[in-house]
Amino acid sequence: MEPPATPGASRPPTPSAAEVPQGTDNDGPIVVANEFADVVVRKAHTRNGVRLEIWSPRRGTVIHLDAVALDCLSYQEPELITELLARTPGA
Amino acid sequence: MSSPPAGDVQRLLETMQVGVPEGRVPARIFNDQAVYERERERVFGRVWCFLAHESEVPKPGDYVTRYIADNNVIVARTERGDLKASLNMCRHRGNMMCKSEMGNSSHFRCSYHGWVYKNSGELIGVPYFKEGYESKLDRKQWGLVPVRTETYAGLVFGTLDPDAEPLEEYLGGFQFYLDIYLKQGPGGSVVHGPPDHWVAETDWKICVENFSGDGYHTPVAHQFGFHLGYFPSSGATHSQGWAAHIPGKGHGIGLGHTPGMPPFAGYPPELVAQMGETLSPAQMEVFSKTRTAVGSVFPNLSFLIQPFSLVPGEPGVRFCTMRLYHPTGPGRMEMWSWCLVPAAASDEYKEAAYKAYTLAFGQAGMFEQDDFENWTRLTRVAGSSVAKHLEFPYVMGIEREPLSDFPGPGHVVSPYVTDTNFRGLWGTYTDYMLKES
Repeated sequence: MEPPATPGASRPPTPSAAEVPQGTDNDGPIVVANEFADVVVRKAHTRNGVRLEIWSPRRGTVIHLDAVALDCLSYQEPELITELLARTPGA
Repeated sequence: MSSPPAGDVQRLLETMQVGVPEGRVPARIFNDQAVYERERERVFGRVWCFLAHESEVPKPGDYVTRYIADNNVIVARTERGDLKASLNMCRHRGNMMCKSEMGNSSHFRCSYHGWVYKNSGELIGVPYFKEGYESKLDRKQWGLVPVRTETYAGLVFGTLDPDAEPLEEYLGGFQFYLDIYLKQGPGGSVVHGPPDHWVAETDWKICVENFSGDGYHTPVAHQFGFHLGYFPSSGATHSQGWAAHIPGKGHGIGLGHTPGMPPFAGYPPELVAQMGETLSPAQMEVFSKTRTAVGSVFPNLSFLIQPFSLVPGEPGVRFCTMRLYHPTGPGRMEMWSWCLVPAAASDEYKEAAYKAYTLAFGQAGMFEQDDFENWTRLTRVAGSSVAKHLEFPYVMGIEREPLSDFPGPGHVVSPYVTDTNFRGLWGTYTDYMLKES
């Protein structure tokens, strides 16, 4: 598995849309987009388990979040995202 | 007939101040650059303007963009669930922040230099904050410009005037009548889908006047709706009903009555049974006799509720439309038209009401087409060299005494067909236009 990319650090090459792995209905991919950003989300299977892959095609960044990380996100305050965006607004 | 001077908008308005109570309104008011510019400052810069219905932004992150005068405004539901309105303008170089008219986002990011704001308006992210600004920019000072808002029964209003009276006082008792549109049973009313939205070469004020209770035009302008059997009224009785307005506030409503029509005809029976929970006995008495309720909140928000048949001759389905006439220049406007449905009604009724609305109003609606054909032509004529020196008669019902025993508030007269509400509307309009800051 690729390590999660840090915005501003080295970025993996941006795959084309045709290269997005097509999983089963349960695996995605699904697109979450608004006028400011768009990401492609899918289940990414490892040998022993599963992670959620969040890929930003425009930015070329990707992160793989396991159940513990996602669970942790589920009980954060909205301000956590604000703090993360304040740290790296994404220029 | 006296002719108002064509040159000076101040003198035109002073002429109106005298003329409106006597039943005269100048044609020029409907199509004139100087009038438009003064309206933008003195009317739309001071009033409470309708921005959105709360049901348009139900979940955290939901937003819509709307206008007050020529200012674009974002109305957003924050991550905490409250409503915030901000000018749709990045504070860095003034770029438009949200280009979409509706969407969902917890944060807004400017497409020019990338400043990031919470959807509540606080500036939180500045690219190259350390490298470029040496961390010295005070982000607290450079949030989106907030817009003052207040709500009534799901309607979100905003004002640019920090000294504007509270919304409750501004509405001044008109809430009694607004409730027929906004409190259709338990849970009130909600929008059914996004608004229809189009541009028209029409002055916003003729639309507001019409929707302040112009029952007079209906049997003529909408004669095919009558004759084909879509609309449950007849020329013989169409003048019947009441006209109510709130003196000094500019809000007015026409309540058309058809003799022999069952109370609350066109609503689902189960909804009528529940209405007593949300409406007062006085409201129930007035609304049970109302076939058509066509009303406006000053300056440019209107509503209409009436039964309309999906198939000619069949019993009507009662639908509700809310519309906003947003001026974009002299004799030009953007039209916004929503369908409101009772939150508690069945999906089947909501769909039927939406069909009735679409058949009658909205961009291709039968009644809407009839109206805009007339309104666009009269707007064009109002700007012509001779017509702009002329006045129109607003004398219908000018000597009629108000009813003393009507259950609802305001100045109420009968019959429905009268210019009384319009004199009230134009009087308030003139007051705003003449009042200096």
